[in-house]
Amino acid sequence: MTRSVTRTLTQRRVLALILLLLLVAVFPYLYTWPFFGAFLNPFRTFQATRFGLWLIILLGLQLLTGYSGQISLGHAALVAVGAYVAAVLMNDGFMGQDVPVAVAVLAAGLFTAALAFLLGAPALRLSGPYLAIATLALIIALPQMLKLESFSFAGQEIHANIARWTGGVEGLLLDRPRAPGSLEGMVTERQWLYYEVMVPAVIMTFMAWNITRSRIGRAFVAIRDTEVGAEQMGVNLALYKMTAFGLSGLYAGVGGGLFAYTEAFMSPDSFEVVKSITMLVAVVLGGMASIIGTVFGALFMAFQNEMVDAFSGLIPSVGFLEGYLPTTESDFQRLRGAFYSIPLIIFIIFAPGGVAGLIRQVGGAAPTWWQAGRLRVTGLAALAGQVRARWRAGPDRTDPVDQPQDSDEEKQA
Amino acid sequence: MGEFIQTVATGLSMGSVYAIIAVAIVLIYRSTGVMNFAQGEMAMFGTFIAWSMISYFSAWSLPLDMNYWLPFFLAVLIAGLMGAAVERIVLRPVEEAPVLSSVIVTLGLFTMFNSIAVWRYGGIAKPFPSPSVFEGSALSVGPVVISRLNIGVFAVSLLVMLILYVFLNYTKVGLAMRAAAQNRAACRMVGVPAGRMLTMGWALSAAVGAVAGMLVAPIVFLSPNMMFAALMFAFAGAVLGGLQSLPGAIVGGLLLGVIQNAAGTYIGSEIDVTVAFVVIVLVLLVRPAGLLGHRVVRRV
Repeated sequence: MTRSVTRTLTQRRVLALILLLLLVAVFPYLYTWPFFGAFLNPFRTFQATRFGLWLIILLGLQLLTGYSGQISLGHAALVAVGAYVAAVLMNDGFMGQDVPVAVAVLAAGLFTAALAFLLGAPALRLSGPYLAIATLALIIALPQMLKLESFSFAGQEIHANIARWTGGVEGLLLDRPRAPGSLEGMVTERQWLYYEVMVPAVIMTFMAWNITRSRIGRAFVAIRDTEVGAEQMGVNLALYKMTAFGLSGLYAGVGGGLFAYTEAFMSPDSFEVVKSITMLVAVVLGGMASIIGTVFGALFMAFQNEMVDAFSGLIPSVGFLEGYLPTTESDFQRLRGAFYSIPLIIFIIFAPGGVAGLIRQVGGAAPTWWQAGRLRVTGLAALAGQVRARWRAGPDRTDPVDQPQDSDEEKQA
Repeated sequence: MGEFIQTVATGLSMGSVYAIIAVAIVLIYRSTGVMNFAQGEMAMFGTFIAWSMISYFSAWSLPLDMNYWLPFFLAVLIAGLMGAAVERIVLRPVEEAPVLSSVIVTLGLFTMFNSIAVWRYGGIAKPFPSPSVFEGSALSVGPVVISRLNIGVFAVSLLVMLILYVFLNYTKVGLAMRAAAQNRAACRMVGVPAGRMLTMGWALSAAVGAVAGMLVAPIVFLSPNMMFAALMFAFAGAVLGGLQSLPGAIVGGLLLGVIQNAAGTYIGSEIDVTVAFVVIVLVLLVRPAGLLGHRVVRRV
């Protein structure tokens, strides 16, 4: 499963990336155009917003579990922290001042990052299944903690009114987000929400992508593959593990803050066990240690209800099995867990690389003309350089100016 | 003082259930290194199977309370077969894979059993019967008042532990199972079918889990989520006792039952799972090997 950390960027990929960014930028307005109106609508914009939200949250888990190998079943706990920090800041303000959304979300991210960094310290002593147990216990206990009002100890009533911040069992209702007045009439509420989520999502995706190809990312992978070996090579285990936790906390906090902002309602049960496990499932299904895989994972999270609904017509009702087969839509919604855990187990056994791994395998068998334009680059600067080189080369030159011959071998490595 | 003894007595009853779940977890963990997160959900599913059989059997009046005991043993048998099937079909292929793979697979089983139970039986909690021997007025011994159900739960758990002890220590199959857990290669060399022993280990642990589920169900009511807390306490007990040690799991499970009850009495029952979480973290930080475990030195 070990893979080289450096990726290759082909010119086609650069072009595809630019087109993709353009698509992301105009997506919420596409449905007003004649052709796209047939299959896009404002609700799709909202779903795309959800996708961006999940992308941010899952990237944090990907960095922690996929790259660093620290199994966390309690990622939703970090999301909850970010969500509540942002919600409290947006609702009550800070020291009598109103807090702008961006500041609240950023503060939620930084606070959660700091908390997760510190939580990483005890986690240093836990490895593999032990960490999984501890984080599972955390997420099962979390709703209780969030609903806590007071407890007694040694006959004394102790007030620890966490429910005051979290709204307790009833949950917390936030104001619906609105576009600033100067943009009145230009964007609808849903479109504004989309940009508020997509801009950080795109930035943080590139950030994660660059982290994984940097010194930090290589240290993460080294720790995952062999902890002792990494230590021998001079990787500071404590620092990098805590960094992994801190980074995942940053993503979870920003994601949680945006969650509070977009959903406008949450309760301690928004962050329950099955949802937390589903996050890990999504990362694994999409593809471990892969940013593209995380994108697939986020798609899965955003569209899982629709996918399950799409399957619901497929099983015919057989007379003598009446009542023993799932046929209605509500049957399928209840069976949702089974519908993704069975593919999950099949994936783990036959294709541990997830969807991204499958695509990579298929890509390895791609025709040579597809592999021809590969260029090795590191970082965004090189991306810009490539675009420029491509531009200068003019339309009649299909091959780039400087193309290393050994790039194909590198792909095999 | 009377209150304290009462707390301990009730705690030991719940603790005995946690102890046998912890034993089931440790049984699998020390032979395959797989932490079975689906242990609780498999037990819950077995309990639902027993429940539907009990409601089917209740139409007839059988002697000796067989309306309850027949489904009980059938459910244990079915759960055992289920455990064996799970090992063969799902876990054998990931035996050599990294830890993460087996964790994910058992989590997949967790959600699968949970959602199938929600679909078949619904999410609303149902009452689960207990055998008529366990019903009736509570007994009082000195200052302690304890219900017959609690005593019955404790007695059945003790019996399960005793049977497991005799099976593992005084039968040839038990010896082979312990050997397979220790060194699989050496086992195969002397002719012990190690793979089959692992399958049997899973069957045994699923069967024990089903017993635990049926013991818990009358107390916490039958629902797809009923084993979440019990599983966490069992995990905490197993960690407290040392994940490699069967006696440790029993001691840890019993202790956790007492701790849970004491926390309920002296702190507040609405934070019971939090207590399990605190115990797990504290044990792992202070003494990762647990009370009766020993440090495992890993060769690189």
